[in-house]
Amino acid sequence: MASTRVKTRETKSGEIVAFSEAAVRQNLINIEYVKTSLSSLAGCTAGILGLTGLIGFIFYIAALLIFFGLLIVKTGPTWNKYFISRKSLLTNGFLGGLCTYTLFWTFAYGTMHVY
Amino acid sequence: MAELLIDPKIRGWVFLPIVVITFLVGIIRHYVSILISSTKKVELTQLQDSQAMIRARLLRENGKYLTPQSFAMRKHYFNNEESGYFKTQKRPPATPNSSAMLTDLVKGNFINVLPMVVIGGWINWMFSGFVTTKVPFPLTLRFKPMLQRGVELQSLDASWVSSASWYFLNVFGLRNIYTLVLGENNAADQTQSMQDQMSLNAAGQMPQDPKAAFKSEWEALEICNVKSVLETVCEDLLASNNEPISNNIHH
Repeated sequence: MASTRVKTRETKSGEIVAFSEAAVRQNLINIEYVKTSLSSLAGCTAGILGLTGLIGFIFYIAALLIFFGLLIVKTGPTWNKYFISRKSLLTNGFLGGLCTYTLFWTFAYGTMHVY
Repeated sequence: MAELLIDPKIRGWVFLPIVVITFLVGIIRHYVSILISSTKKVELTQLQDSQAMIRARLLRENGKYLTPQSFAMRKHYFNNEESGYFKTQKRPPATPNSSAMLTDLVKGNFINVLPMVVIGGWINWMFSGFVTTKVPFPLTLRFKPMLQRGVELQSLDASWVSSASWYFLNVFGLRNIYTLVLGENNAADQTQSMQDQMSLNAAGQMPQDPKAAFKSEWEALEICNVKSVLETVCEDLLASNNEPISNNIHH
């Protein structure tokens, strides 16, 4: 992959903004790492707390939202310097994270509450 | 819903070992695939051809920025009847070197299918017939055959998970963890590596028959009749000089 490749996006005012694609991808990869850690930790928490049923899934969504909120606070008003779309930070990797979350949830719940 | 009491020994000898085994098998897959994978050899002529094709395409797209003479010169390099690249280079239709492809295929199968069958079968045999855990959310009866493979009990609630199914839950759930542990492009995950192979085949190869590709590129270049954008550049510059300075930035 060419590291100098540039991605562009047009703002509403018709202005074209250029991004370094490698840097943007690196940012997204880091977000992916954080999300994986987040979903596994949230899964463990939910399992240890003994959440069952719908509450557990709500817990996952709440964890994602909290993470999203923290990210917004961290990046501040300059988020568009680092990411192309802010909404994709919330929605990317939702299902993969859910898989991980469910596994850890089941695991912690099983070890704590079933035996 | 009757609560089951499960022997804590099942946790120590079935539940945890399956997690550990699944995880470690993924790690081993990653390193084995690094060990036996070979870098793809690219033939020199093939590379030369593909680079020539790219150059011809770039010339077609961006030729308007050249002076007419430069454009004609480059066009002749490719399309001249006697000495043009596309005319003189006679390539035999590429034969896929079958032995290399076969080894790749065998290796891919070796990495992908074999562990799935062997480990899955081994887990099925070794830990068969245990009810290991319970998923913390209610499920409908339809999930029973999926989650209770190896334990066919009519009256058991659908949210109990058998050992074989716990293995499959692990296979799917640990996918992101491998990314975390091994880095982005790991080979631990089987579905991912299959997709990689497909896309690699599609992107990395030249068209199978360079002769036909040459002919189409030759045709495209032959009918490509560019109008130089630099013809009117003097007039443009002079015209813009007469306008107010604020407009000078956009040309």
